[in-house]
Amino acid sequence: MATAALCFARTACLLLGGLAGGALPLAAAPARTPPASTDGDERDPEALAALDRMGAALRALKQFSLTSDASTEVVLEDGQKIELDGVVTYKVKAPNQLFLELRSDRQLRQLFYDGNALTVYSPRLNYYAQVDGVGATLGELVDRAADRYGIEMPLADMFLWGTDKAPKTAIRAALHVGGGTLDGEPIEQYAFKQDAVDWQVWISKATSLPKKLIINSLDDPAQPQYRARLAWDTRTPVPATAFQFAPPADAARIKLVPVEVAAVVPDAGQEN
Amino acid sequence: MPAFPKTRSTVLTCAASLMVLLAIGIGPATGQHGHRGGGAARAGAHANINRPVQRPQGGGAHRDVNRNVNRDVNRNVNRNVNRDVHVDVDYHDDHWNRWDDHPVATAAAVTAGVALTSAVIGSIVYSVPPSCVTTVINGMAYQQCGNTWYEPRYSGTTVQYVVINPPR
Repeated sequence: MATAALCFARTACLLLGGLAGGALPLAAAPARTPPASTDGDERDPEALAALDRMGAALRALKQFSLTSDASTEVVLEDGQKIELDGVVTYKVKAPNQLFLELRSDRQLRQLFYDGNALTVYSPRLNYYAQVDGVGATLGELVDRAADRYGIEMPLADMFLWGTDKAPKTAIRAALHVGGGTLDGEPIEQYAFKQDAVDWQVWISKATSLPKKLIINSLDDPAQPQYRARLAWDTRTPVPATAFQFAPPADAARIKLVPVEVAAVVPDAGQEN
Repeated sequence: MPAFPKTRSTVLTCAASLMVLLAIGIGPATGQHGHRGGGAARAGAHANINRPVQRPQGGGAHRDVNRNVNRDVNRNVNRNVNRDVHVDVDYHDDHWNRWDDHPVATAAAVTAGVALTSAVIGSIVYSVPPSCVTTVINGMAYQQCGNTWYEPRYSGTTVQYVVINPPR
């Protein structure tokens, strides 16, 4: 654990850095702000150790329910950012069962993975699609769902931390911001840099589970953010039925097209 | 399926206004990029750190043209006409999300997915008019809207409707 003085120094640095970084885009809004230089990036061993502890805590979970208030930013063509709120709900049983609900004002999706078939379901549209062979573990599932079908399961890192799919070599900078409380629970805050994203995590001191996450995407100059507050329930048993999809009588099956079929080809066809 | 709520027309009106406003707002940017087709967003936040996803239809104006020829639908058996309409405009489900393959949310109706007047085979819309009829052929659902047929499908978690040759 860092000393108080060190914490203060780091916090001050971070605040200053935040101010400088925040002022720049304001002052020169149309200009593209290049990613911060990697010179002088440090990898605080304490921050990396905290990541290890979080990974170990996640990997030790045999089952859990997770509810997350999340928001994501979308960048319009002119650079304006729009924030959209939603609720992400997971029910998980290791090593290979998952239920995921993505709910927002305008969209509702449910994903079921019973260890064999992945189902994507829209309760409002009443369409579902099913595919097989998307992985023996949840780590493989999030990989293949993304690679093959372009399905981005939010917070999927919780299946990757503590495994070789989230290597610490990918972390270019690691910082211990300091301690505090979140929802009355003692936490420690950390900040990291990786390719394409800067991110911060607030880790519970009691459970080593992440309670808050911010992912700052660097591949657009407007740097849209994803924010999530996480509420864990690791005690209540998750019933096996949670992972099984039984199509309602009036539900209609449609295809889930692989990414290569939904290839991006501009300027074809017509609409409106 | 239940009747549409009374608020539907209000919502449609609101959506239409928003479409107009945003269409005006993004006009110049749209022009810069050529045929952007009304897509309004250029990027979204990643919801993952170690596994950034390649989105099937990022950027707002990408379209799929792989579906435009020789659709082969076996129509011998089990034609099962379901008169229920599942596309409830009131929700604006899947309306603005060509760019928003984000699990968290999609935004308001920016793209004019409704009322397709010239349905080019292979073109994609993100909702179909409520008057369309769901038809199940060989266990898979299609939408028939007058003479225009759509194949609904998931691209990522987004439902899109591809204009197809009539499967009859």
